Amino acid sequence: MRVLLVEDEVRLADNLAAALRDGPGFAVDCAADGLSGDNLAGNRCYDLIILDLMLPRLDGLSLLRRLRARGDSTPVLILTAKEGKQAIIQLLNSGADDYLAKPFDLGELIARSKALIRRGKGQSHPVLSALGLEVNTLEQTVRRNGVLVDLSPTEYRILEYLIHHPRRVFSKRDLLEHLYDYNWEHHSNVIEAHVSNLRKKLDAAVPGAEPVIETLRGRGYRMAVGPEHTIEPG
Amino acid sequence: MNQVKRSRSIAFHLIAAVLAVELLSSLLVGILSYGYERHIHFHAFDSILHGRVDSVIGAVQDAGDVDDNVMLDTADLHVPKDDIYEVFNSRGELLGRSPNWTGTSAPPAIPPHRHATFSEIKVNGREYRLLTQQGSRIVDPGDPGGGKLRHVTVIYGAPTERLWRAIHAAVQFYAAGSILLLAVTGPLIAWLLHRGLAPLRQLATLASRVSADSWHFSPPASARTTPELAPLTTAMENVLQRLERSFTQQRTFVSDAAHELKTAVAVVKSSLQLLGLRPRTQAEYQAGLERTLADTQRLEELVAKMLTLARVEDTGAAPGLPATVDLVQSMQQAAAELETVAKLHKIKVTMESPADEPVMVALTQEDCSLLLSNLLLNALQHSPPESTVELRTALQKERNTAEFSVRDHGEGIDPADLPRVFDRFYRSDPSRTRSTGGAGLGLAICKAVAERAGGSIALASQPGQGTTVTVQLPLTPNPDAASQLA
Repeated sequence: MRVLLVEDEVRLADNLAAALRDGPGFAVDCAADGLSGDNLAGNRCYDLIILDLMLPRLDGLSLLRRLRARGDSTPVLILTAKEGKQAIIQLLNSGADDYLAKPFDLGELIARSKALIRRGKGQSHPVLSALGLEVNTLEQTVRRNGVLVDLSPTEYRILEYLIHHPRRVFSKRDLLEHLYDYNWEHHSNVIEAHVSNLRKKLDAAVPGAEPVIETLRGRGYRMAVGPEHTIEPG
Repeated sequence: MNQVKRSRSIAFHLIAAVLAVELLSSLLVGILSYGYERHIHFHAFDSILHGRVDSVIGAVQDAGDVDDNVMLDTADLHVPKDDIYEVFNSRGELLGRSPNWTGTSAPPAIPPHRHATFSEIKVNGREYRLLTQQGSRIVDPGDPGGGKLRHVTVIYGAPTERLWRAIHAAVQFYAAGSILLLAVTGPLIAWLLHRGLAPLRQLATLASRVSADSWHFSPPASARTTPELAPLTTAMENVLQRLERSFTQQRTFVSDAAHELKTAVAVVKSSLQLLGLRPRTQAEYQAGLERTLADTQRLEELVAKMLTLARVEDTGAAPGLPATVDLVQSMQQAAAELETVAKLHKIKVTMESPADEPVMVALTQEDCSLLLSNLLLNALQHSPPESTVELRTALQKERNTAEFSVRDHGEGIDPADLPRVFDRFYRSDPSRTRSTGGAGLGLAICKAVAERAGGSIALASQPGQGTTVTVQLPLTPNPDAASQLA
């Protein structure tokens, strides 16, 4: 998952980015002012935008309105030092999905971020299941038919991303965009290697089982959910 | 509000004044009408008396005696029965008298050159007006020589009761009319005043809706067009605008301050929580604690700066003694204090000041060093290495001011940011200066200090060339007291 963090207070931005990378393993891009935040958000590669309200050059509320005006439906979590019902009502009515008042709890920020990403992808439960796979996004563990599969952080992130939309085809570019921030070198063969390892580990967990990740030549990857399969809820 | 209620209203005063004037004028009307009626009635009455006297003189007849005397023949004399009369001949003998009168004691003397005199008398308990008039009668006018002229004096009186009654009736009529007028005009004036003061009430109603939450004040058109209310309305609008501006500024400051403080606390909190997110190595903990300590120091500095600003801006707190300080000496001190910072950034600080002469300004030593070191630090932070920061103190004796300026050769300030550089919490380049710890309060504090001392501060900048901050401060009259401070 890739998060855009728009916060002008450098130290706070550093801490939040570190926490989001460390904890749920998100890729995080930081913008120190509203305009560069707006520019980055224009790439549409984010699964969540965390937005401070008081920003130089373009304030958070205006940025939020610009986002929504151009039809960007990325979940937005607002960080605010403002108080009062009116300000919060105005925020939510302007298209914010959630808010946190400063000074906030880092654990709460992470939990809300995860929930917003999940909801943004149409999932409500933190444990996602498909094809006998069970991805627990809280513990960051993966089981296949009840057997625990040990994955590297990147492999886990790829699987987590894929299983949020089990039927969708993701190109390598999609995966690159959503799993790495701008500080990474973009090489699609990195993805190929990780997906290959991930597939091997998942298939080795239950010998003789069908492969869970399909490769569609020239198009990308998807969870191998045939038409006869249904996704068990939660 | 209570005081307003206790004193009587303008309407009450106006109504009372109008009624008093009306009462006074109706009194005057009463007095004048009394005099006028009296004059008119007496004039008519006197004419009647003259006529009656003529009738009485007509009744004086030739007595037919040897001496050609005259007598009064009352047989054909018809006068009102209440009237009284007497007729005397020239010798003062009584010729005749009305039966209802005992007569005057003696024939009245008529002053010379006067044909007739009036007098008042009381007969049988009634007031009479008497006319005493000379008359003449020619006896035997057919005789040779034209007959003999006989003089008579006639005293004729008529009761004046009816006359007075008529006068009184007329005056009463006027008086009653006046009172009726008073009774009618009182409520009428009250009603008219109520209507006339409606714009004032409208203005008051609209003004009472103004509060700290809603500053909207649109005076009614009537208040704007009424000459008496227009100045008041304009004054109210101006006051409200100024109040709103200062309220908004204050509110913005509080909101900004809350934002800054909460953000600073959020930094500290997140630093600590980040550290506790997962187990870490000793070195990681060490580094994290150091970062958190630095964050806490920044929070501490922010609080200190906000308190300084609050203290400096608190114009209500009067300084105990009129303080004075030598600007030149303070400049040297500030430069000495920040020497290490300057060396660290490899910046040269030059100083220029009037030779051998203290420049005394009305600041405490604390405030002066706050002002100068803030400005110098600012200049140092915005100077590239190997550049020069120029400090300059100058006297402008003709304007009785001291001028202190700090010039750096840094990157300068964007013209768009210039109008706001003295605003509290304003940072032209937030992400950059924040990492150096600026809270955007330094220049605001400088401005407050300079203005508190009755001076001013200005900033001129050319992008790429550098920035010059100039402070103008009024000179203090007595430099002697300051040498002790130094």
